[in-house]
Amino acid sequence: MSKQKAAEPSGAQAYDATSIKVLGDLEAVRKRPAMYIGSTGAMGLHHLVWEVVDNSVDEALAGFCDRVDVIVHSDNSVTVTDNGRGIPVDMHKEEGRSAAEVVMTVLHSGGKFDTKSYKVSGGLHGVGVSVVNALSESLDLEIWREGYTWEQSYERGKPLATLKRAGKTERRGTKVTFLPDAKIFDSIEFNFDTLAQRLRELSFLNRGLTIRLKDERTNKQSEFHYNGGITEFVKHLNKNKDVLHATPLYAETERDDIHMEFALQYNDGYAENVFSFANNINTVDGGTHLSGFRSALTRAINQFGQNQGLFKDVKENLQGEDVREGLVAVVSVKLPQPQFEGQTKGKLNSDIQSTVASFVYEKLMEHFEKTLAVGRKICAKAIDAARAREAARKARELTRRKGALDSGGLPGKLADCQEKDPERCELFLVEGDSAGGSAKQGRDRRYQAILPLRGKILNVEKARFDKMLAHEEIRALITALGTGIGKEDFDVSKLRYSKVIIMTDADVDGSHIRTLLLTFFYRQMPELVERGHVYIAQPPLYLIKKGKKTQYIHDEKEFRREVLRRATEDHAVEFGEGSKKLRLEGGELTNFLMAFGEYIELYSKLEKRLGDGRPIDALLRAELSKKVELENQAKMEKVAKDLRAEGFKTTIKLDEEHNIYFLVIQSETQPERIIDWDLLTSPEYRRLFDLHKRVHVYDRPPFTISSNGNKVRIEDRKELVEHVMSVGKKSFTVQRFKGLGEMNPTQLWETTMDADQRTMLQVRIEDQVEADSIFTVLMGDVVEPRRQFIEENALDVKNLDI
Amino acid sequence: MRCPICRKSVTWEGNPFRPFCSERCKLIDLDNWLAERYRISPPVETGEKNASAENPVPDTEGDRD
Repeated sequence: MSKQKAAEPSGAQAYDATSIKVLGDLEAVRKRPAMYIGSTGAMGLHHLVWEVVDNSVDEALAGFCDRVDVIVHSDNSVTVTDNGRGIPVDMHKEEGRSAAEVVMTVLHSGGKFDTKSYKVSGGLHGVGVSVVNALSESLDLEIWREGYTWEQSYERGKPLATLKRAGKTERRGTKVTFLPDAKIFDSIEFNFDTLAQRLRELSFLNRGLTIRLKDERTNKQSEFHYNGGITEFVKHLNKNKDVLHATPLYAETERDDIHMEFALQYNDGYAENVFSFANNINTVDGGTHLSGFRSALTRAINQFGQNQGLFKDVKENLQGEDVREGLVAVVSVKLPQPQFEGQTKGKLNSDIQSTVASFVYEKLMEHFEKTLAVGRKICAKAIDAARAREAARKARELTRRKGALDSGGLPGKLADCQEKDPERCELFLVEGDSAGGSAKQGRDRRYQAILPLRGKILNVEKARFDKMLAHEEIRALITALGTGIGKEDFDVSKLRYSKVIIMTDADVDGSHIRTLLLTFFYRQMPELVERGHVYIAQPPLYLIKKGKKTQYIHDEKEFRREVLRRATEDHAVEFGEGSKKLRLEGGELTNFLMAFGEYIELYSKLEKRLGDGRPIDALLRAELSKKVELENQAKMEKVAKDLRAEGFKTTIKLDEEHNIYFLVIQSETQPERIIDWDLLTSPEYRRLFDLHKRVHVYDRPPFTISSNGNKVRIEDRKELVEHVMSVGKKSFTVQRFKGLGEMNPTQLWETTMDADQRTMLQVRIEDQVEADSIFTVLMGDVVEPRRQFIEENALDVKNLDI
Repeated sequence: MRCPICRKSVTWEGNPFRPFCSERCKLIDLDNWLAERYRISPPVETGEKNASAENPVPDTEGDRD
């Protein structure tokens, strides 16, 4: 903006001796240096450089200078050179000496105290270069102005001679070399990084200005020149961050004599990094310009979010803290006679808040409307922040409300136990009110507590019912557990039960509630699982009765085995006919039929996948089961030949990526199918292959089932298994429990709750990771992957029913 | 392992916000639970197999014999 400034300011007013006003005395500076430069430590020492550089930057602001060189010499003296107009050299009327000498020796005597010369001026303390002179062992001044070189030297602020015209020059500018007075400062060692940081900042703030820093002690040098100004500053601050939008938002304007500009860019972090400047002074404590910027930012994001309808997930407006997460911004204003507050002048007090706010709001809205995607991203980030803030508040409330009421605050639905020692207590999370009722009656109330939970059902669309845990259910759960929730409040040592047992029906609804609960524990209370507190009850699926003998059965496989075992007690099966026929009975027959049943099931799944059973038979005949076997074209050819004999068209192709062969087959009725390593290595095929080895010798219809002299002949293998199963089932009474509610309290106690008889699964982290991934799929809005997931897992229904 | 909310990769060991990447994501998740945003839909039915989708446990014929 230095170029812009050039148009208006001092062109009209001459910068000469008349514009320098005399306000003070230098002796005071040496007596109380800290009053003028803050301290005599490193901060104060570096302020000397800032004072001199600020004079050069003022020239740049006024549009007369575009280069500043700073050199630190080996003795820690510093030279600052600019190509500005040069300090006025004519005689000062009131003082009777050169204006330059007045500037160098009289306190508060800079041109900046007269707004006519410098409309806008920086200057850290406004005390000017005379302070630097007073605190320097020596200072050499060289001015190039109006065709001549002028020189003057000082020691501890006192001129050794008057300003002398030395010779002719084409140059323009001022050069100041000073050696800080070691008697004043604790140390006169300058720090390169401190200098570099501030000089870089100055060059960001003064677009187009080149500042060079050279350190002759180490030969290190840097050059700072940013045509992008504060936009580049923001980019620089975000250098190693992942940003939300590639280009910082930037705007500048000049209103009511105030030049304002801002640049902002969000990163994906949570910290706020905002710099505010007034007349190049880093206002570390902010002030009116920063407040204006902040309020406008909050208002703009709220307005934009509302316009775009983005606030479905937040109840209230976004607050300032929400929109400042991940914000990196630079706000810079330049105004005549800025008012600062405080000893360090770190806060701007000038009454410009509303001017800045209306400018920032206007420009931000323009930006957001122009690049909607950026606006939405920023808004989404702020919404996340607001939601997290809200969740943290709710978490505190959930935990502390209970604390205030102590045990009286337990949820009404909880049927607590009498025992208070958590070590001995168990909490059953039971699905549904009816099952909850049975559990309450069946439990041992001394140490077993029951919390009935009902999955809330939502009719989302016609015939689609979504299941979820209602707010109240989660609240009740957290309260009953007693641990609290959230970073500050969760405390696993406050767990009121050492066993938390999920007891749900063995159906889809039950498995959904279980998945929801496991996912909740996994995500919000992983410690419970890590410490082994979470269990899954194993209610039986069947009750088998024969006479007075009863037996509970927990899973399908166990049920099948039991049914087959009973059937094969008095049944035998003959496989095939004539001399080659085979015969099985008893335990051998049970084992065979278990394997055969599984084999048939897998076979039909693969048959469905390939549209035909014959390719499976051909693969099994060729005994193909490993990926590496597909490197051999001859093996594939054997399968192909087999299938051609069956009427298939076949093509063998090379999968170049893996350097193995695959087979494309087509029958008259089916589209093309592919037989490749993917099929061969599928769990279904692998298991089928293993089972095939065990069962194939018996896989020869007809099958003859004999019992007490009666014989039944069956042609189909599937029918064989089904027939034997139905025979087995006839030998006893079977009760299938579709839900916990179908068991009476005694049955529930005996089978599922009694610690002496029950079996339970202890949940491990791996189970929960699994639950979480299933959960993620099941709750997805995207139908396609879910359908695919269901179809894939339909191969093994147990995966769904975790 | 990935953070359930932002999908950034996370480690389990020594991560106080496991399985999330940060307190932020854990809080967003909690907010989702409390605002009843997590819903499980019944399996998407592919048309003809309505009944079987209702009941994932293979139902053997005849509950009682």
